[in-house]
Amino acid sequence: MSAPKDDLKRPRELKTFVVPGDERSRLERITDHLKRDWQLYLLLAPTIIWLLLFLYKPMYGLQIAFKDYSVFRGIADSPWIGWDHFETLFGSEQFLRALRNTIYISLLSLLFGFPAPIILALMFNEIYQQWFKKTAQTIVYLPHFISSVIIAGIVITAFSPSAGIVNTVIGWLGFDPVYFLTKPEWFRPIFVGTTIWQEAGFQSIVYLAAIAGVSPTLYESAVVDGASRWQMMWKITLPSIMTTIIIMLIIRIGNMLEVSFEMIILLYQPATYETADVINTYIYRQGIQGGQYDFAAAAGLFNAVVAFVLVMTANTLSKRYSRTSLW
Amino acid sequence: MSGVKLQKIVKAYGAVQVVHGIDLDVQENEFVVLVGPSGCGKSTTLRMIAGLEEISAGALHIDGRLMNRVAPKDRDVAMVFQNYALYPHLNVAENIAFGLKIRKVSKPEIEKSVEEVGHILGLTEYLDRRPADLSGGQRQRVAMGRAIVRRPKVFLFDEPLSNLDAKLRTQMRAEIKRLHNRLGVTSIYVTHDQVEAMTLADRIVVMSDGNIEQVGTPMDLFLNPKSVFVASFLGAPPMNMIKATVAEGDTGPVAVFEGQKIKLAPLEALRNQIGKSVTVGIRPEFAEIAGEGTADRIHIGMDLIETLGSEALLHATLGGEPFVIRTETLGKHNALGGVSGFTIRPDLIRVFDGETGEALVGQEVEA
Repeated sequence: MSAPKDDLKRPRELKTFVVPGDERSRLERITDHLKRDWQLYLLLAPTIIWLLLFLYKPMYGLQIAFKDYSVFRGIADSPWIGWDHFETLFGSEQFLRALRNTIYISLLSLLFGFPAPIILALMFNEIYQQWFKKTAQTIVYLPHFISSVIIAGIVITAFSPSAGIVNTVIGWLGFDPVYFLTKPEWFRPIFVGTTIWQEAGFQSIVYLAAIAGVSPTLYESAVVDGASRWQMMWKITLPSIMTTIIIMLIIRIGNMLEVSFEMIILLYQPATYETADVINTYIYRQGIQGGQYDFAAAAGLFNAVVAFVLVMTANTLSKRYSRTSLW
Repeated sequence: MSGVKLQKIVKAYGAVQVVHGIDLDVQENEFVVLVGPSGCGKSTTLRMIAGLEEISAGALHIDGRLMNRVAPKDRDVAMVFQNYALYPHLNVAENIAFGLKIRKVSKPEIEKSVEEVGHILGLTEYLDRRPADLSGGQRQRVAMGRAIVRRPKVFLFDEPLSNLDAKLRTQMRAEIKRLHNRLGVTSIYVTHDQVEAMTLADRIVVMSDGNIEQVGTPMDLFLNPKSVFVASFLGAPPMNMIKATVAEGDTGPVAVFEGQKIKLAPLEALRNQIGKSVTVGIRPEFAEIAGEGTADRIHIGMDLIETLGSEALLHATLGGEPFVIRTETLGKHNALGGVSGFTIRPDLIRVFDGETGEALVGQEVEA
């Protein structure tokens, strides 16, 4: 048997919307397009307005990172001072510590927090009993819907040296109680564990949806081929949801420096600043509490630029190596 | 011997029974096609043989071994699915090798087998491509490659060609037949396409509503359908059916309807029916166009001519029902417009009971 020539059709890529022979100018094409699909653009309008008002308009204020800003003079009239704030920033031991902590906590969260919802979704997928599956899912989704303040309260209570469950168990085992939340070495594991507990269940929904999209015949075919459930998970489910995993990873890397700052504010205390203080909490203390808006804006801008570079890099790498990318 | 034997196989989902105790004996190396309309239970039956559906009652033997409770992987069957079931993240070679890898076959042996299968199916130059980069026909070949590489005792095909276009389907049909001739493995093939069934099968199993209507060679089923259902399911276009009453003619029984007569074969089985209502079945290709004045000519009202090139389908009405004649054009299709009647050899007519739709016993011919 040999393949006939017309069998060699390859999927073609549409590279441009311009049809050869189309004499219209670019503006005319866009106008025609808008006229034809105006309903779709109308649906898009609220989001665009929101983006412009709340994410683009404030960018005007970013210039204070390069100015000696005073509330009374206003943004426009404050004098330019160039890179002064950035120089102070990088000369500040506190900022460098916050930068180190941000990177460290982000990497820990990525390492443990990113695989957690994937593992959860794979585990849910293996549960046959529908009632058990639903109950288990509800239980792990629940913390997502609870306010961070309450979550932090639960964590603080659980680790309390006097009445906390953790120290009670430690007491039963014959050890002295540990002041977990005042010890810098314990802050990171507690923080990472708390965010996983709070978000992993809810994040697993994305992966469960991806798993639901895998064709059942792939599994049937594998069953006939003799694959075990473990092999099917590794060789079918996981590769099939890899695109979703990569997209989520890119988004996650983009948000890497945005460590859950409310949770840190709620859990840290001066005794644990050494390991807990991150750029965002630093900005909060300097900017909002200390009133140094220009200096905090410089720190925030630096954070945003790093995040931008990270997401671009992740997307480019992913596009190159896995054919998957956000854009 | 690696035959497949189904004894009183039942499939029920709760209180709803979809396969009602079917018996089937597939011989070693035989190519059996299960055919029937959608929802007749043919795919369910195949899936029970594969082990993808539990058997509610009855016994399934493969190679003489009871298989009811045996896991699919231990049944030594391979299945080709309608939508190919190829792993999108693996290339062609890896897809073909999947089953062998799962079974921990040694690497050199896997490579050898994949190469051999690639050669048989004409896939050698595509081995490193992903399924997304292949055409429908190529994907179908990879799906077959996955099945044959394991050298199973039984091949199961679940409507493998229904996602292909007409031209490719004809081509792949021939390839499947050639492959079967070459490998000689017991094959069970499910389709709703009667042309596939006629061309591929050693024996056809016609199913309807979870029951087997008739089992036989394609020609046997074509010539001696046991019921109106089988007669109208096999053959394209299907057999014409005319409601009539049997009467005594000058030389034997005749079927009478709306003032016309169709001469029937002088068989005992038909003489016994005199006075009873029957359904007369006439294959479109057996009716011969006849001019005015021909003896035993049956008059028809012409409606439409479909010219297929060498042949034409004449759509007419007879006894208020649509009636189709398939005839050769011999390059003169314009002349067909004037057709107003046909004759039919009495021994080519099949007569069915007017109430039950069952063929009257005693009119069978040698296939």
